[in-house]
Amino acid sequence: MNYWLVFWTGALVVAGFSFAFITAIVTVKGYSDLIQMFRRLTAHGKEDRE
Amino acid sequence: MTFSPIDWIIVVAYLAFSVAIGMIGRRYVGSVSHYLVAGRELGVYVGIATLAATEIGTITFMYNAELGYRYGFAAFVAALISGLVMIIIGRTGFVISRFRALRLMTVPEFFELKYSRGLRLFTGTLVALGGILNMGVFLRIEGEFLTVVSGINAKYLVMVMTIILLLELLYTVVGGMVSIVITDFVQYVLLSTATILISLYAVFHAGWHNIVSKVATTMGNAGFNPIASPKFGLTFIVWQILLWFSIHTCWQTTAMRMFSTKDPETSKKVMTWTGFIFLGRGMLPMLWGIAALTMLGTGVTRGGVPLPVLHGHVLEPIDAMPAMLGSILGPGIKGIVVAGMLAATMSVNSSYLLGWSSVISQDIIMPARQVLGKAPLTSRRQILVNRVANLFVGLFLMFWGLYYTPPGAVYLYLNVTGTIFLAGAFVSVIGGLYWKRANVTGGYMAMLMGAVGVIVPFFFLHWSENLTGFTAFTLAAAGLIAGSLLGRPATFEAAETETA
Repeated sequence: MNYWLVFWTGALVVAGFSFAFITAIVTVKGYSDLIQMFRRLTAHGKEDRE
Repeated sequence: MTFSPIDWIIVVAYLAFSVAIGMIGRRYVGSVSHYLVAGRELGVYVGIATLAATEIGTITFMYNAELGYRYGFAAFVAALISGLVMIIIGRTGFVISRFRALRLMTVPEFFELKYSRGLRLFTGTLVALGGILNMGVFLRIEGEFLTVVSGINAKYLVMVMTIILLLELLYTVVGGMVSIVITDFVQYVLLSTATILISLYAVFHAGWHNIVSKVATTMGNAGFNPIASPKFGLTFIVWQILLWFSIHTCWQTTAMRMFSTKDPETSKKVMTWTGFIFLGRGMLPMLWGIAALTMLGTGVTRGGVPLPVLHGHVLEPIDAMPAMLGSILGPGIKGIVVAGMLAATMSVNSSYLLGWSSVISQDIIMPARQVLGKAPLTSRRQILVNRVANLFVGLFLMFWGLYYTPPGAVYLYLNVTGTIFLAGAFVSVIGGLYWKRANVTGGYMAMLMGAVGVIVPFFFLHWSENLTGFTAFTLAAAGLIAGSLLGRPATFEAAETETA
């Protein structure tokens, strides 16, 4: 039981920190990703009309 | 326990903001590929946000918390498998790279490329049926969560469900995948903040030492060791590994994110990093469930665990987590958490609405029209068909959610209903991409035997979920191999020759 508790505690810590860390990165960098996506979709729209 | 005015202001402001930004997507929808796969323009970071937001909903929090409540730390094994499998798929590009290179819009579309139009139609029907039934329990459980946490009278459950659905439908129908990606980004940030907040609150209020002690005294070794747990064991682990490989590669809503990325390399990065999020997606709500057991688990014992009790009212295990949140969160924080959960709900449901309606339009209606000799629809008409299918799926969900209550643990119900089509679809996709001998006969047999392998053992022979799932994958694989060896060899080479 002790072995499993140590294992799950470690896994929980890794999971929690990964979750928080990736969220922070995605929040900061995702916005510029979105803007680039809008630009390319707009460009596609113009190409389609031409 | 009820909402304060500040909580209501936060929630209403979030809903208005979410729908408003969702409507922005409309101006970027020029063709059916924009509507269904956002023009294949997703970058890594927004790709991670939309994939994570799509697969993290209130329903996810509820069923994972229920697993934690019922089975303690041993339940973590399910979360660990889902995350690790995702990381392996991301690192290797298994299935997803080739899928992306084929420029698909739906999973059943591959079945026409590799096998036949008939098998696409058959697979599309099974995928839509299984997927919609699977999603059918979402609204009720999400409505329960919101009413329990916010303290709204349970008689308003139907109204809460209807409002959630209408708001989701509004921007999904109008802007398709582009709207969903925009809202997913905002919703991901909010739901992640709520997830971290709840985790800290739950451990702070229940106490780590108390949490461990409660599991040890209630469940003993089975609360920690998944092999020793009567509900899990080795068959569960094997089934879960197969199931998560199939979900991460062939589940329509996940696959649509892979199809929407800029290139196969981006799809691999998105999958890898989202794998780490999936560890927390499972384990953190399971921890909330264990904290709820610690704080509220004082009722009579049922199924090896005490039922939750709050203010003298005995609850079901699935309602323990929201009841705990309702009692420990203060004004303002409760509003942020409920807005976060609403964000999670809307991001999942909007993506699922689009996912299943796209299968109905692209894999059932379009091929059926071709079989009947009718002319192909223009891009605009295809979008219209998608929108109508979206509304149809939404209406069905309302009625199904009102009248159907899943038996047993919701996580296992969802896994079993998903396996009905996932077993055959996954095996056929693997065969189609990596085994040249795989053919139409094998594809049909895999889909049929996979579905029969779930329906007969589970619904008629009443086998356990673990054994049922394991049997379904084994039968589907046997069907593909036997059918392919008996039938004529296939001539398909597209997976090797097409590029992004």
